[in-house]
Amino acid sequence: MRGFLARRTAALGVTVLLASFVVFLIPYVTPGDPVRKIIRSQVQGELVDESAVQGLTAELGLDDPLPVQYVRWLSHFVSGDMGLSYTSRTPVIEHVMPALWITLSLTVVTLAVAAIAATALGTLAALREGRLTDRVITALTQALIAMPEYWLAPVLVLVFALNLSVLPSAGWSGPSSMVLPVAVLAIRPLSHFTSAVREGMLDALGGEHVLAARARGLSHSQTVFRHVIPNGLLPLTTLTGVWFAGLLGGSVIVEVIFAIPGMGRLLYDAVLNSDIPLAQGGVVFVVVLAVVLTTAGDLLHAVLNPKMRNSHA
Amino acid sequence: MSEGLIIEHLHVGHGVPPAQRRWAWKRRESGRGPEPASTPLLSGVDLTVAPGEFVALVGASGSGKTMTALSVLGLLPPHVHIEAGSIRLGGTDLTRAGEAELNRVRGGRVGMLYQQPKRVLNPRRTVRSHLLEPLALHAGLRGKAAEERALELLSGAGFPDPASCADAYPHQLSGGMAQRAMMALALAGRPELLLADEPTSALDPVLERQVLDLIDRQRREHGLGVLYITHNLATVAAYADRVAVMRAGRIEESGPATAVLNAPQTDCTRTLREAAALTPDAKPRRAVDHEASAAVVLDRATKRFPGRGRDARPALDEVSLEVRDGEILGILGQSGSGKSTLARLVVGLETADAGRVARAGDGAAAPSRTPGRDVQLVFQEPHDSFDPRMRLRTSLEAPLLTRGGTPAARRKRIHQAVKEVDLDPTILDRYPSQCSGGQLQRLAIARALLLEPSVLICDEATSALDAVTQRTVLDLLRRLHESRRLTLILISHDLSVIRYMSHRVAVLHRGELVELADTADFFARPRHEHSRQLVAAALPPACAILEDQRLSQPNVALNH
Repeated sequence: MRGFLARRTAALGVTVLLASFVVFLIPYVTPGDPVRKIIRSQVQGELVDESAVQGLTAELGLDDPLPVQYVRWLSHFVSGDMGLSYTSRTPVIEHVMPALWITLSLTVVTLAVAAIAATALGTLAALREGRLTDRVITALTQALIAMPEYWLAPVLVLVFALNLSVLPSAGWSGPSSMVLPVAVLAIRPLSHFTSAVREGMLDALGGEHVLAARARGLSHSQTVFRHVIPNGLLPLTTLTGVWFAGLLGGSVIVEVIFAIPGMGRLLYDAVLNSDIPLAQGGVVFVVVLAVVLTTAGDLLHAVLNPKMRNSHA
Repeated sequence: MSEGLIIEHLHVGHGVPPAQRRWAWKRRESGRGPEPASTPLLSGVDLTVAPGEFVALVGASGSGKTMTALSVLGLLPPHVHIEAGSIRLGGTDLTRAGEAELNRVRGGRVGMLYQQPKRVLNPRRTVRSHLLEPLALHAGLRGKAAEERALELLSGAGFPDPASCADAYPHQLSGGMAQRAMMALALAGRPELLLADEPTSALDPVLERQVLDLIDRQRREHGLGVLYITHNLATVAAYADRVAVMRAGRIEESGPATAVLNAPQTDCTRTLREAAALTPDAKPRRAVDHEASAAVVLDRATKRFPGRGRDARPALDEVSLEVRDGEILGILGQSGSGKSTLARLVVGLETADAGRVARAGDGAAAPSRTPGRDVQLVFQEPHDSFDPRMRLRTSLEAPLLTRGGTPAARRKRIHQAVKEVDLDPTILDRYPSQCSGGQLQRLAIARALLLEPSVLICDEATSALDAVTQRTVLDLLRRLHESRRLTLILISHDLSVIRYMSHRVAVLHRGELVELADTADFFARPRHEHSRQLVAAALPPACAILEDQRLSQPNVALNH
């Protein structure tokens, strides 16, 4: 277990470093010279003074070798200095933190809703395998997964915000504004979770230890709660970690449609405005969080599984 | 606790439950298909187990032994129903009992043991957590009292350190330990009846004796009635008061164990008896040429698996062994003694960390990573050694694909091989789930033979089969040994199989080769202490006991 922990942590560090290097390279691979971009954003007119370009290049250390620049960039970054946004001229971190907070709460609520609903639906489907309940649940989750977010979101807005006027159609103000975005975001993880829970439960139900538990005198429901559900939910831990990562970066469509000032929205705007420091800061944060959360899901899975907890491998 | 278990005229079927069948006329009238019927699984089973009685239920796999036990607990699989008959336990009619009543019987008045103890324990719960369930449900014990009783049960099941066993998860237990923990679990509700479904089939003789003696002690001291399902007649002869022989859902014959085994009245019992009679001289084997060259040589071969924790004992420790060409070598040893590691080294699935493994085909090459075509391996679980989604033809064709040849030629080869193991080639169009264990094990042998190996390793290849099927597979192996000059390495924990088959016996103990001797010598005078334990623990073959007399006290001092 300790070895497993060490390996996963090391892998985490390597992934984050690699990702940060790729992010660092963004301005070098995007067309145009970053120095000219900076100067152009500060001075009026088309003409850029060549001596100013050289001066700024030296001042910013851009004539140093790439690795030196990377280390400098990284150390600034780690100390919280991510530069100024090109568009607003304010520190990137002041944009990223609140956006991250919003997306994080959106994601946590979405996954909690999806996991709880999927546990109920998946367990029910497994316990009624092959019967009407199972078939309805399975068909429903298949149908839901086929509904794209950019279609579902406007439909929900039309029905609940415009026709029924019970929920706000956009913005970020209090719990009611969360309902529609969460509903849209939860659809895909819900479908995925439900089928995983159903499979896990069927696996657990078919185990000989379930029959043996009945033979010890446990009632059907006692057996289900003690020996089936805890075992059947195990796959959900890893899956939640993966979806957490996916939703952090993948909530762009929903945030743009519902005008939520979250991470997806921030990156979307940063890219449209070629605001490179803002994009860099946002991407690095999303990547770090995604990697950390995926690893956390795996570790949770390991902790809950005695076979892995006790293995020395 | 008066009359024990009485099963009368029990009929069990698969299909529509009787309660729903009264609508049958309606289905007919509306033209919705024929009258729903059910396929009989048990047809009129009569069986009694008095308190303190040891009743053995024997028969081939699929004959309905387990189904009988499950009917007692009211835990039949879906769509399987009791059609008629009664099951009474000390005056309670279990076929009419409600779910609440049955839950008091299950684990309370009736305990159960299984063939695969590790599969019936929840992998995510400790032994303690398992034990606390029946203690709370049936003995009303909670908290400290339950804890104490749990440890008491474990020490009663032969655990010198019950607390550490209680903390263990199933995967940390060996097969023998898991079965003893199951025993503690089965006895937690102070049952009057124990249903034991082949609890020792997967155990080596030493562990088998431990479990049987535990059961027998409960029987003698607490008047526990035992219904013991087995296909091992040696166990029946040594322990059972009465025996019932099952075939195709019927009790063919029943009576006192000695009488039934000594003078079988039905063909079914006679077949079982003959199959179990693995007497060493039943058939002469082809003599081994002592001058013959070596087929496999192990020279101080050592294999260590990384990270196996505290005890860094190698799985195989400097084993030197020479298997002669055309020989049948039996390898004995308890589970975890390194038998399978040895097999995997010889085949080339693993490489030795130190020492040398050479096969006749390799020349003097160093241990190579490519699996030797010359050595083939047959595994224990036939159902696990075929891809369940492939037709058997495809599975058998796979090893030939790398060797070229036209599809027609391959087809011919496969058909030949299948005929060689006494099967009809039409079986090749089936999926593994449509075949019996015995058929699949023959096909596994056929597949191994397709590559024309000179050495065949059978790793417990007959341990999962019932006695009759085991016998046919063993005789097939002997025939192939004769006709193909095949060198066989047989790995088994069953001494009678090794004795029946092999020229020489090698004994592995904790990764070391502790004895290598000619079979007759070995069984007459085992030299190493561990070999003596194995030979002493083995129950004498059923026929041998009966010719002398039944063991009145089957306890042999076991030092473990």
